[in-house]
Amino acid sequence: MHRGDLVLDEDLVKREDLIRGGLGYHDITEKVCKMAETPFLETHKGWLVGFALAASTLTMFVLAIGYLIWEGIGIWGNTSPTFWAWDIVNFVFWVGIGHAGTLISAILFLFRQKWRTSINRYAEAMTIFAVICALIFPGIHVGRIWVVYFFFPIPNQMDMWPNFRSPLLWDLFAVGTYFTVSLLFWYVGLVPDLATLRDRVKNKAAKLLYGLFSLGWRGSMRHWVHYERAYLLLAALSTPLVLSVHSVVSFDFATAQLPGWHTTIFPPYFVAGAIFSGFAMVQTLMLPARLWLGLKDIVTIKHIENMNKIILVTGSMVGYAYGIEFFMAWYSGNEYESFTFINRAFGPYAWAYWTMVTCNVITPQLFWFKKLRTSITVSFILSIFVNIGMWFERFVIIVTSLNRDFLPSSWHYFTPRIWEPIFLIGSFGLFFTFFLLFVRYLPVIAMAEIKGVIANGDDHHA
Amino acid sequence: MQRLVLLGLAILGLGSWFLGFQADPTRSLYGYLFAFVSVLTIPLGCMVFVLIQHLTRAGWSVLVRRIAEFGMATVPLFAVLFLPIALLGHDLFPWSHVEHLDENLIKKMPYLNMKFFMIRAAMYFVVWTGIAVWFYRKSLAQDANPNVTRQLWKWSTLGIVLFALSTSFASFDWLMSLQPHWYSTVFGVYFFAGCFLAGLAFMSLALMRTSIPLKPDHYHDLGKLLFGFTVFWAYIGFSQFMLYWYANIPEETEFYMRRLEDGWQSISWALLFTNFFIPFFVIMSRHAKRNKKVFAFGCLWILCAHFLDIYWLVMPTSGDEHWINFLPYDLGALLGILALFMVAFNWIMKGQSMIPKGDPRLKESLAFENY
Repeated sequence: MHRGDLVLDEDLVKREDLIRGGLGYHDITEKVCKMAETPFLETHKGWLVGFALAASTLTMFVLAIGYLIWEGIGIWGNTSPTFWAWDIVNFVFWVGIGHAGTLISAILFLFRQKWRTSINRYAEAMTIFAVICALIFPGIHVGRIWVVYFFFPIPNQMDMWPNFRSPLLWDLFAVGTYFTVSLLFWYVGLVPDLATLRDRVKNKAAKLLYGLFSLGWRGSMRHWVHYERAYLLLAALSTPLVLSVHSVVSFDFATAQLPGWHTTIFPPYFVAGAIFSGFAMVQTLMLPARLWLGLKDIVTIKHIENMNKIILVTGSMVGYAYGIEFFMAWYSGNEYESFTFINRAFGPYAWAYWTMVTCNVITPQLFWFKKLRTSITVSFILSIFVNIGMWFERFVIIVTSLNRDFLPSSWHYFTPRIWEPIFLIGSFGLFFTFFLLFVRYLPVIAMAEIKGVIANGDDHHA
Repeated sequence: MQRLVLLGLAILGLGSWFLGFQADPTRSLYGYLFAFVSVLTIPLGCMVFVLIQHLTRAGWSVLVRRIAEFGMATVPLFAVLFLPIALLGHDLFPWSHVEHLDENLIKKMPYLNMKFFMIRAAMYFVVWTGIAVWFYRKSLAQDANPNVTRQLWKWSTLGIVLFALSTSFASFDWLMSLQPHWYSTVFGVYFFAGCFLAGLAFMSLALMRTSIPLKPDHYHDLGKLLFGFTVFWAYIGFSQFMLYWYANIPEETEFYMRRLEDGWQSISWALLFTNFFIPFFVIMSRHAKRNKKVFAFGCLWILCAHFLDIYWLVMPTSGDEHWINFLPYDLGALLGILALFMVAFNWIMKGQSMIPKGDPRLKESLAFENY
């Protein structure tokens, strides 16, 4: 290729095709709708096994919650001085995972990252289910769940008003708003694709349901104009939400006067960590699914590489925050600050701290190498590492800051009981039940959007 | 002619600052530090802009990149301008008065001591000069040989890591340690947000005076970034303030307490409007970003508001109750350093191609549409 007297390499100039295999509009529709159009009796065996497992785990979760409400939170190992433990760890873990979806649909949309179209639907669904899992934990950790309405600012005769200066209340608003807007965003994006399914399915009941939820979409020019306007507005509204939700979650800790919690870098550091864990979870879920659902040409190695790059960037930001926190703990000259951090790294929970550092800071650095970040196996393994590391991050922040408080006589090593793992595994049951239903009955790829970015497509969107 | 005017302004500015120096050397040094850091944030902002463009393989920004490169290439000038701080820093930083340190500051001596302070400052300038010169030279080389692009892409990764660490620690050293008991882990991020705003505002203004074939679409995108980072600055500033206000621990509130007395409270309140609400509403609209006059006003506003932010970070630590009386000398220093920066900027720009004509994404940038 020539420009004036310059010779340009083709691969320098050209942007890679996002969709491979020469797929056309119709191929995409066929590929994506296949799962949803499979008749009920012909459901894939693998899906059935997975669903049975997930649903049983969900049942266990529901029973465990019932027992918790009956018996009280004493069934957990939480005890003085560690009053917050796995319950809040799980809450923050799930909210964090819920970040990638909205980042992909809102921020990457505003940054014109067209590769987002292959993964946004999937990630948004993940976001919604993860936020549902997250919301359960603060709900059940209050113990007396029948008075949980004290949280809400409802006028009542008892003169009970929630404390607006409490970050726990901000949390309720922040996570609630995030959930609502993410759900709207996901649903608005789904409308044209639901209409496609409505027009294709043979089963009458399915036709009725898809028809109901596609809101009379006929794909006219006028519909598209409104749709794109709505999409842009929702993207602009969700962008600050991506930052605000996890910032508010970080305030739960950072507003306290506790060393290890009270530090100003928490809001942006939590946001970076959330995006980090969210992308890792997208990888964990996407890599097997693209094989099983035959989506290799739609979610290509390029998409996987891009996600790995984001994991590397956000993982390094998290590493920066760990480093600055440690430095400031020393620089502050405050003995309590330095004690907390030395205790974290070399105290009784050193194993948890170093698990966190290894999984969040060290192993993601492997993605500096192109060979590794374009390897499916390596990506999958490292994404699991990040998931583990990010769970441990919250564990380290919460438990190591609490278990040795200001009075050495009350120090107590926190040990979980049998119920803690049951609740964590149970929440995965809830997550996967929803997720498998989504994969089975809804289009997992935003068909309308990727049709806009295929090589012969027009540039109408994304 | 322009250069003579700028040199005249530099002499005028630094000359008037020198009058202040003769009247009260210590107080005037704070003014110098303010001016130095304020103007330095422009090349630093340009530098991170350039690095991000390479890192993300951006297409839209090719036409505006060279201006940012000219901006960042002025960094060596600041190594020279740092000398007064290096030589007279003893008067600026309370931790350097080794004879009257309290227990807390004695603990910090391994980090906060003049020798190590100088070594670190030298390291920052080595890193910044290294990044600026390497990326500037390679970018010029790219004009004739597009394959250089690959090197620019590759090394922008290391560049951004070094940039993040060096600017964070520079902000700890030169700004945070002015109140040596005080600390905040997010301070580096706050400083970075300011740098990026200064760089973007300066670039946008400089671009308006060139003949680069830009479309309103390019200003529109620069405006979006300015808008986004105005919000980001406010977000970081709020997070820091809110957390310290809420916990109300004396050694942490010291920073804000100082800025709520001696007339500083009016500046503290003003920042909320000058650096957030006003720019937020001025450049929010699409029309404002695409209209050169309104956008130029917005950029100029953001740049001045950013200088006010640095003034607010530095000056209250001087302990001067009648700081406003000294304001003309402080502004003299700012004018002088700004003029010197402009001389260097124009000198670097002279005779160079205004666009990276070898960039493989040039065509994409020329055809760029923002809808």
